[in-house]
Amino acid sequence: MHIRDGILSPEVCVVTGLISLAAVGYSLRKLRLDLEDRAVPLTGMLASVVFAGQMVNFPLIGLPVSGHLLGGVLAAVMLGPWAACLAITLVLVVQAVLFNDGGLLSLGANILNMGVVGAWGGYAIYTIIRKWLGNGTMTAIPAAVIAAWFSVLAAAALFCFEFGCSTGSQEFHLRGIFTLMVLYHALIGVGEALITGSVLSFVLSRRPDLISTPGAASPIANVSQFVMAGVVGGLAIAAILAPLKSDHPDGLDQVVQQTGMEARQIERDGLVFQGYELPLPSGFGWSTLATSLAGILGTLVVFGIAMGLGKGARWNLPVIESGEPHGR
Amino acid sequence: MTSLPIPMAIELRGLTFRYPTGRVALDDVRCAIAQGERVAVVGPSGAGKSTLLMHLNGLLPMPSVATDDTVQVFIQSLGVTKGRLRDVRRQIGFLFQDPDDQLFCPTVREDVAFGPLNLGLDQAEVLVRVDQSLIAVGLPEHGPRNPSQLSTGERKRVCLAGVLACDPAMLVLDEPTSNLDPRARRQLLEILRRFPGTQIIATHDLDFALELCPRVLVLDGGKLQADGPVEQVLANPNLMERHGLEVPWRLRAV
Amino acid sequence: MADNSHLVTQIRPCDAIPATARLALTLLVIVVSSLIPLEHWPAHGLLLVVVFAGLSLAGVTLGYLARRLMLFLPMLLVFGLSVPITQLHRESAWGWMVSLWLRCTISFLAGLWLIHVLPFPELLATLLRWRCPPLLVAMLAFMYRYIFILWDELARLRQAREARNFGSGSWRRDWVTNAQMIGLLLLRAMERAERTHQAMLARGWDGSPKFLGTEARKGE
Repeated sequence: MHIRDGILSPEVCVVTGLISLAAVGYSLRKLRLDLEDRAVPLTGMLASVVFAGQMVNFPLIGLPVSGHLLGGVLAAVMLGPWAACLAITLVLVVQAVLFNDGGLLSLGANILNMGVVGAWGGYAIYTIIRKWLGNGTMTAIPAAVIAAWFSVLAAAALFCFEFGCSTGSQEFHLRGIFTLMVLYHALIGVGEALITGSVLSFVLSRRPDLISTPGAASPIANVSQFVMAGVVGGLAIAAILAPLKSDHPDGLDQVVQQTGMEARQIERDGLVFQGYELPLPSGFGWSTLATSLAGILGTLVVFGIAMGLGKGARWNLPVIESGEPHGR
Repeated sequence: MTSLPIPMAIELRGLTFRYPTGRVALDDVRCAIAQGERVAVVGPSGAGKSTLLMHLNGLLPMPSVATDDTVQVFIQSLGVTKGRLRDVRRQIGFLFQDPDDQLFCPTVREDVAFGPLNLGLDQAEVLVRVDQSLIAVGLPEHGPRNPSQLSTGERKRVCLAGVLACDPAMLVLDEPTSNLDPRARRQLLEILRRFPGTQIIATHDLDFALELCPRVLVLDGGKLQADGPVEQVLANPNLMERHGLEVPWRLRAV
Repeated sequence: MADNSHLVTQIRPCDAIPATARLALTLLVIVVSSLIPLEHWPAHGLLLVVVFAGLSLAGVTLGYLARRLMLFLPMLLVFGLSVPITQLHRESAWGWMVSLWLRCTISFLAGLWLIHVLPFPELLATLLRWRCPPLLVAMLAFMYRYIFILWDELARLRQAREARNFGSGSWRRDWVTNAQMIGLLLLRAMERAERTHQAMLARGWDGSPKFLGTEARKGE
């Protein structure tokens, strides 16, 4: 999901960069108010943990590839949305400039997708679900699981949008690529949801006090939370439903074309989209069904995991300790 | 100015501290430490040594730090209260047990500079202090190094350099010799011997205490169990055994 | 895991360029590669030559380069292929795909050059000069230091896990213990952060970062 340089156009990089800059600046200001002189050590350490956590391999059954944690929602649950956004930003910066593991120019887009939409948005969804489920400590887990899945899907959808704006040409039917992206990330999102939930249930079993209950926030905070959650949810749902729209250029594609047009002055050739380009046995119907099924299945799986992990948080598995004395 | 009594470096007037769980960590500890004295604080694990040290610097969670009426800790006759923390911390150079808790900058030089920069000194003065401190701990060439590449002993010395760079009146050290090999331990001993100010050292290393400190406090269960010359206190086998300690080899009668 | 200071120990021609310029140069190459018109092969080729020259000047060995490219190219291949596959009937799709590959590779190599010629502390100084918020730079510096410590801790946790495992190899168990490792790392890290905060307070920290000036760095 880390976008590399060369994939997005410079214009998109600049725009996303500016938005990210504003978002990071805002996060810094809010964080300083919240944490004051603890801001630097806590956020820096959180970023280090997210970085290290992203390196842990979660083997997938029978496959040569492994899953990895992204950590936006996990970070947000631990230290709040501002710290999480900054932590993800720091991780992305370090990955890019120390390990060449991500683009430099596309840092803005990466931060926007994973830090802002992923962490802020994920946190908003988490908070709302938690309130809806009744704010007990154990509700944190299902809420985080669902939020994690949504955040991955939303980030992917946003990437598709950015990519669409970058190519912006009438030559490419982006829906095919988007379908692939959505399918792929719906799967990745399940992994993220599972890992987030497992880690969180472990942390909660040891230190339930570390996760605060979202208290009665001001009405403005509530509204902005709803807005943020709506954005993320909307993106995710758009990702799932986009392939369902059929014969005429639908909302998503239209927007993409229009912004692409402004950037590159490409004439519309009035083509009506003729269906889907996935090399699947039959044409039209199957890929729609496949994508939507993926979306629905993903949602069901995630809810299942959420409930299961929530109940299983009292597992008594042998715990790993390396026997070091702590503190004094 | 007529001659005023020289203030005690540290005074504890009935220091008592309870954890939020209710457990008593320190119970009515009273003692006075004069300028330039070197005192070791010994006792079994969980005796409250570290908690005691943290009180000197006001490092415990804020509600625990006293107000003017309840203050029980005095540094240079200043009561350690919320409002005076900055001044108190300028007087005290605190060395934590784990150097990795205290070494948080990307290079050695930046870390040693951290204290002087926070004191508001100008850049030139900061650089001078950094160089002097690194020389004092025997690491003059280590400025540009990444702390992760250093050995534990070197990291401890860098921490000490960082503390010395603030030019404190006294040093408070929490288990300074833990995880040090014999050579590093000896180097640390030499550096501390050269420091002229007051020193409080919490340690399990009784031989170290014997070599460095003329006076020792024995803490057990939060209470001060003994306070006297090190050769006397540590040579008392009953006392030592009662408090989970052992008489150091050098003091054992054959 | 080592930081990139081990990559920058030799003296090379690149060291003559000031740190700011090194970063700016890298970004310039990346921007230029994105702006090259599609399928303009001479321009792509020229840029490739430039980055390869830069890399050899920076002392990067061919073996290292080959290893890094081996890790990078497969992902790029897959992503690039998704375009023509979904637009099989458009001829320009293949040209576009190759352009994309070249652009991405050039940018990747430029980034590789950067990590070889710019040590992290100098990058931080450059960010400060470019008016990056000091709080963010302080967090970056802090994070950099603790990555190594946490990495070691993770390795120790893995060893402890291996020692108890007796090769159970159950997929589900592996998954759960991995999650526990991350959870434990998180808990310990947060506790360490509190202790470090106290160490910072003990040396006069008040929340606003202060940095050694650029004069100090020239001496390093």
